[in-house]
Amino acid sequence: MRTVPTSHDPEADPVTIALTVNGEPRSASAEPRTLLVDFLRHHLGLTGTHVGCEQGVCGACSVLLDGELVRSCLMLAIQAAGGRIETVESLGRPDSLHPIQMAFREHHALQCGFCTPGFLMATKALLAENAAPSEAEIRDYLRGNICRCTGYAGIVTAVGAAARALGDERG
Amino acid sequence: MSAPRSFGRHIGQRRSRVEDARLLTGAGGFVDDVELSGMLHAAFVRSPHAHARIVAIDVEPALALDGVHAVVTGQDLRGVVEPFVSALGRPEVRTLVRDVLAVDRARHVGDAVAVVVGDSRYVAEDGCELVRVEYEPLPAVADPCRALEPDAPQLDPSAPGNLVADITLESGEVPALFDAADHVFRKRLKAQRHWGAPLEADGVVASFDATIGELTIWCTTQMPHPTQALIAAVLGLPASQVRVIARDMGGGFGSRARTSIEEAVIPALARMLRRPVKWIADRSETLIAGVHAKEMVVDLGIAVRDGWFVAMRADVISDAGAYSLFPFTSMVDALSAPAAIPGIYQPSAVAYRTRSVLTNKSWSGPYRGIGQGVSQVVRELLIDEIARALNEDPVELRLRNMASGERPYRTPTGLGYDGGSYRQALRAVCEMIDYDGVRGEQQRRRAAGHASCLGIGVGPYVEFSGWSGELGHAHGYPSDYFDSATVSVGPDGSVVISTGAQSHGQGHETTLAQVAADGLGVRPEDIVVREGDTATSAWGMGTWGSRTAVIYGGAVLRAAREVRERIAQLAGHMLECDPADVVIEDGLVWVSGSPSTAIAFADVAGFAYFGTEIAGHSASRGGRPAELELPLSVTRSYSPPQTFSNGAVAAVVEVRPDTGVVNVERIAFVEDCGTMLNPMIVDGQIRGSVAQAIGAALFEELSYAEDGSFLSPTLQDYLLPTTLDMPAIEIGHLATPSPLTEGGIKGMGEVGMVCGPAVIACAVADALAPLGVSVDRLPLDPDAVLEAIRRSALTGTHDAAHERPTQTGGTRT
Amino acid sequence: MKPPRFRYLAADSVEEAVGHLAAHGPEARVLAGGQSLMPLLNRRLVRPSVIIDISRARDLAYIDLADELRLGAGVTQMALERSTPVRRTVPLLAQALAWVGSVATKNRGTVGGSAAFADPAAEIPAALLALDARLIATNSSGSRELGASEFVTGPFRTALEPDELVTEIRVAPDLPGTRTRFIEVSRRPGGSRAIVGVALAARLDDDRTCRSIRIALSGVGEAPIRARGAERLLIGATIRSGLVREAARAVNDDMDPPADALASRATRRSLAVALVHKGLIAATNAI
Repeated sequence: MRTVPTSHDPEADPVTIALTVNGEPRSASAEPRTLLVDFLRHHLGLTGTHVGCEQGVCGACSVLLDGELVRSCLMLAIQAAGGRIETVESLGRPDSLHPIQMAFREHHALQCGFCTPGFLMATKALLAENAAPSEAEIRDYLRGNICRCTGYAGIVTAVGAAARALGDERG
Repeated sequence: MSAPRSFGRHIGQRRSRVEDARLLTGAGGFVDDVELSGMLHAAFVRSPHAHARIVAIDVEPALALDGVHAVVTGQDLRGVVEPFVSALGRPEVRTLVRDVLAVDRARHVGDAVAVVVGDSRYVAEDGCELVRVEYEPLPAVADPCRALEPDAPQLDPSAPGNLVADITLESGEVPALFDAADHVFRKRLKAQRHWGAPLEADGVVASFDATIGELTIWCTTQMPHPTQALIAAVLGLPASQVRVIARDMGGGFGSRARTSIEEAVIPALARMLRRPVKWIADRSETLIAGVHAKEMVVDLGIAVRDGWFVAMRADVISDAGAYSLFPFTSMVDALSAPAAIPGIYQPSAVAYRTRSVLTNKSWSGPYRGIGQGVSQVVRELLIDEIARALNEDPVELRLRNMASGERPYRTPTGLGYDGGSYRQALRAVCEMIDYDGVRGEQQRRRAAGHASCLGIGVGPYVEFSGWSGELGHAHGYPSDYFDSATVSVGPDGSVVISTGAQSHGQGHETTLAQVAADGLGVRPEDIVVREGDTATSAWGMGTWGSRTAVIYGGAVLRAAREVRERIAQLAGHMLECDPADVVIEDGLVWVSGSPSTAIAFADVAGFAYFGTEIAGHSASRGGRPAELELPLSVTRSYSPPQTFSNGAVAAVVEVRPDTGVVNVERIAFVEDCGTMLNPMIVDGQIRGSVAQAIGAALFEELSYAEDGSFLSPTLQDYLLPTTLDMPAIEIGHLATPSPLTEGGIKGMGEVGMVCGPAVIACAVADALAPLGVSVDRLPLDPDAVLEAIRRSALTGTHDAAHERPTQTGGTRT
Repeated sequence: MKPPRFRYLAADSVEEAVGHLAAHGPEARVLAGGQSLMPLLNRRLVRPSVIIDISRARDLAYIDLADELRLGAGVTQMALERSTPVRRTVPLLAQALAWVGSVATKNRGTVGGSAAFADPAAEIPAALLALDARLIATNSSGSRELGASEFVTGPFRTALEPDELVTEIRVAPDLPGTRTRFIEVSRRPGGSRAIVGVALAARLDDDRTCRSIRIALSGVGEAPIRARGAERLLIGATIRSGLVREAARAVNDDMDPPADALASRATRRSLAVALVHKGLIAATNAI
């Protein structure tokens, strides 16, 4: 007798998941068990968000959902249906970098770049709620993002510089 | 502190990175970003046992699952993929063989025994759960000292006694010097298993084009060309039919300076199935079955006479794991640790015995600093103990016994230091950390009965770099290597540099462009650096052992020098002057003394190719003479002599004796890597490696229970430093160019992991010295610190039955 | 790793959720914030055939303050940490939350989820124990109330029946003059899973008589414990440094800590005593 898991359970089969990503309506068909990070990366082709641990510890998968910083490896894509997702691809392009990205570049806040998208989205979330964070506030907010390369000093400096740049922009 | 001397217009400049634009915008090309049409996904079935005979594997239930395309076992791969043969070409090191998928026995938790290929990773994992493996568990051994005992489980018939190697070296009259010493000081250190832990997990994508018989492999490797050669060999293909691509990679730190079994299995599957196959390790896999490092027991003895370290003696037991790493073997730590025992000091005699021992754990290999870091820990801790015993100032004791760095110095272990700012760096770091001020504060707090203990450690270091054949030989690695760079100028003057390096955070696209810019006389913006693709990159051994700046920087300089000479010859013809009078700078070319004669570098390039002008550029008369048909593409290799950068580090820590919590408050770092390519990059390497040092000193550990079960399968267990773990770090630079290398470049990169764990350990020992505490193991987490306090001389209590199950170190005394 | 296949059921209300639990209870897991369940699912350490997603159930997310504080189980940890009523009336919860996870995990993780996960080393269960909180468990037949100490029955185990859902947590607001502290020690100085944590609430008279003292510890047993022996030493007594030291040491008799990969028994004891001592000094200004 074939013993096979519930592969014929219709409520485990793929469903259409529709959501807004970086301002655009997107949808794809995926099993309910599909992680949001996998949905973004492989179903929607947005590979800027990275998978580092699938345990919610490293922050490489950080995106914004309805403006809030979340771990996309700890969400099912279906939980984000109807929601508004922002990934690193929404920030800027090589020829027109966002002030946060420019600050990261200026202050050598990345080396291998794998953690960087997560840090950028975390920084965006931080500066949206605290326009002039102190160093201690920056470090505390970013304590859930791991970088193995930089030792964080460049990142912390960059976030402070980005805060000032965005403050100047607002005038 | 003097500013580093600048080499040229671009070398030594703080230049923002070329790489950043794509990495910041989510456009990096990491292995998991590769999507190929028809691609399938693999997942491995891994042993839950530390040691077990594989009795039978039933793949039928997995094959029956919708979406599963293939299930392959080690038996299936016999004859399809040759086993890895890890050999070192010297008689003391045994050759060990590893099947790419275990066939007879699984030898560690996580050892791969089968692989399932499915439509998605999700389905492949479903399939893995249906593969029925019948195991017969065998006794396992997790402690390397236990593994040496005659009745220990034997892991490999080629390594009787579980010994991969047992090597002794004696240089100088060690026994006589120990006998004649005023004092002999000893210390045993247990260094924990930890590793590079790069944030991007291992991955392989393979695609086989049957029409031309070419296999393309994207993988997370620090050594694309050697991997190409090694994988081709085990798959029975010519290397020319295998292409390895390692573009962006999320860190390496030595843990990917190897060829992995997955890098053989996944391509074999792609070839078998005639479809692209992708495998990306999940975090648990990468922790359980990645390249572990640095687990050692080191017994060190220092003979002291009249305050001089006259001789040193060491016994090193290095835990190799269950297999000998491929291709560098398990000897990475086992050879580098004893070689580094003398460090920056000058004992006239050194003897050591080093053993690489098999245990039922994942294989062990390089991690930043390799054995230098562990030797630094045990030696610097012991030197501080010597200072306390002899009532000497620990800095003065070091200054007296250090090499000065004023002239090259050869250690009894065969390493050749090429000089540096050894004493200056130590003095500078003491000033930077305000050593006297901290000592004063420490005294004040002790007198006042302060609840927390302040401690300070200082550590001078030398750090090898540019790991070439010669440095390898000095360590006991008999291989020669080949590393090269190609400098190519196109008809429009644009420049392509290709090297055998592989950048995974070090910014080669920026730094090597700076080198080439000075070498050629063009602007860095006009240069593109290409690495990591065996189809287009010059051959090399890859990036590890701080090789790139010295070796590839040197090779680029050599190649650029030749191209520049050719440009000068061509320009001499165009400008009607002696080539020796041609000045080339920032993309302009003119006759020395007459800048008004300047033409564009691009014009000369156009002339080289077409013998005439390219539209828009100035003309040359009469076409290109026959003798000036000069290719503007030159490949040069470089194998440097031994070169060592140096520096000194100081750390101030606060230890709470009631909770065992260690807080690293400040670190000062003085670093001398000779000619720096880009100070921003150098500082980044220092800061990153210091962060790793904090983890190594305080909380990183790959833990196994005594029975070989693995206790660190997630990042909640294997803790990595966060923003809140970092102290203020002050950095200063000295510059003593190497007299021996191209450009005086010494290179660096392992730096913080060479000296950092040691200085933190020393600071903790210093903080707790009044309690009679001796530090003899890492990491110094709260449990270890409290245990050390409980065991200390003054409290006099033994905790002989220390119940923490991860302590695989045998009896605790 | 990736989750195994499961049937996904979304519940937009408590009613729907308990309806699904009635039908699938024993084979189902409830998905709220996901910060505890998803890591287990992603490693296939749990294999529910049904997932009931309550993350959008709006009737679980409320913070009501009347005579007591009533928290919907679906309130996120971040909302709790930032809530002015909570910070004002039950500051111990906010203090505990400072140690929990990070911004991203607290944006999704819920207070009910953390309580129901019952990690012996976690902060919220210890805080709820120190606060003598009550938890409301609801199924399709109705609700019942459980005290915090009876709610947790073992490591990662609660008294919830398979068809029950935590729907509300009730906490009495602090009486005036109450001082609270939450401290923990973990393996990583910057914070990680606690080895030992202490949640403490003390109320003293003007003459330094201890009117109320509650000490809860995480990480020293299969569930958080109350240091009742230490509490008995302090209640009604005049607080001085000597008594505080004695009470901290007395914590040893209240616990039987485990040894594991993180720490030995002796270390856990040392940490418990040290943290209780530190917490008591801070909360009572004992000199």
